[in-house]
Amino acid sequence: MMKIDFSGLDPSLPVKGNAEDLDDEILAAPSFKLPVTVDFDGFQKAAVQMVKPAKGTTTLAFIFKHGVMVAADSRASMGGYICKALLILNLYKINLYLAASQSVKKIIEINPYMLGTMAGGAADCQFWHRNLGIKCRLHELANKRRISVAGASKLLANILYSYRGMGLSVGTMIAGYDESGAGLYYVDSEGGRLKGTRFSVGSGSPYAYGVLDSGYSFDLSVEDAAELARRAIYHATFRDGASGGVASVYHVGPGGWKKLSGDDVGEMHYSYYPIEPTTVEQEMADVRIA
Amino acid sequence: MRRKALAFDHFLHLNVGKCSNFGSGVIFEYNGSALVAMVGKNCFAIASDRRLGVQLQTIATDFQKIYRIHHTLFIGLAGLATDTQTLYQRLVFRHKLYHLREERDMKPETFASLVSAVLYEKRFGPYFCQPVIAGLGDDDKPFICTMDSIGAKELAKDFVVAGTASESLYGACESMFKPDMEAEELFETISQALISSVDRDCLSGWGGHVYLVTPTEVTERILKGRMD
Repeated sequence: MMKIDFSGLDPSLPVKGNAEDLDDEILAAPSFKLPVTVDFDGFQKAAVQMVKPAKGTTTLAFIFKHGVMVAADSRASMGGYICKALLILNLYKINLYLAASQSVKKIIEINPYMLGTMAGGAADCQFWHRNLGIKCRLHELANKRRISVAGASKLLANILYSYRGMGLSVGTMIAGYDESGAGLYYVDSEGGRLKGTRFSVGSGSPYAYGVLDSGYSFDLSVEDAAELARRAIYHATFRDGASGGVASVYHVGPGGWKKLSGDDVGEMHYSYYPIEPTTVEQEMADVRIA
Repeated sequence: MRRKALAFDHFLHLNVGKCSNFGSGVIFEYNGSALVAMVGKNCFAIASDRRLGVQLQTIATDFQKIYRIHHTLFIGLAGLATDTQTLYQRLVFRHKLYHLREERDMKPETFASLVSAVLYEKRFGPYFCQPVIAGLGDDDKPFICTMDSIGAKELAKDFVVAGTASESLYGACESMFKPDMEAEELFETISQALISSVDRDCLSGWGGHVYLVTPTEVTERILKGRMD
């Protein structure tokens, strides 16, 4: 069975000594079995297409005076449609717009002072964030100090770059607090890595950017920043069909991350815009029937 | 097998925009909709969601999908919004002419045949709509039916559904429906079925619109739903 071996790209493998004591699985770079197909390129293209429409979500993060604020919605819609490569065997059509869950955890806790957000393929994000958490812990043990946010995001970006073109779908933000202060990086499955102060990722991101950019200031207090993040997610869930459920807000400060709130966006709508029955509407209704 | 295989499931040869490798149903998922009609004891209820979207983006949350033909006949139209508006205008025109000639309103069974004929006229370039017709016929007996986009009628005695949320709606109605419900209980049932189904569909929801029709009155209600 063919295996792709990426150990050459991974610089953080420790020197091999006492290898019998440690489990080979942990130290070896992840390698995945490739399927036995006649047309591997065609299979790859179809696999990439299968995951492409799935970035239905809204996540955002921004740096401010007191650290990093991270927020996300919680809806998962089923991505995927007729996969041409498998048409010969069986035709399966997945409803692209089924809201499979309203309670997906999209903010992943890598370690007590670093958070990652999930957009794109859920399995891809969960696996690679956990893998990143393992690498960060190994770095801590090998170097007796915590890894920086820049370093952690670089590790993830290098791994994703090595799988470029193979159909991973990951659009994540790594947010944390290290010795040089708050850190926020955007990393995606095309291999891109950007340092920045404000990011939003997912199909609802244009709507979130609108609210975030107009309300942002570096000197916000923690409560105001949390309310800005919550409102930006709420507005994105209102306009975007693929976002919804619960708006979770986390704050990463010098002491690590803390979950601030998880509010149902359905109820948030009616607290921002309460229903007021107006007498004008009543009169107009009477006229219409007559 | 309760539901007949409807024609649009097999429209694999239709090229709609760039979606030729998506299969047939994508044009029906462009705007998003959810429609349901239910029969009660000498009354009926017809309900829809209120969203108008362009794929995932929501444009309006007060879009009308149920139209009144006459005081006891309603038609709900699911599918591509531009086609539903044009089709409604065509049907209202035909009914007004009928009313002038016959000096009476159309019976629901006749109207259903009219809709079916109008849709089949466009057999090889159809309106991308799925209508749900509900009315009170002779002796105030409730009549409901749905059809596919080229006019295949499906009559039912209990409930009919249409739209992008139709699969969830089938499940919800099948479990919540009871025969011979009174008006208020029918309203509760149809509202719960609609709201719980659209909460599972990304393309429909953002409120609900219910018409409850008895021989003596028509009640129109707006439902408070999740706005995400």
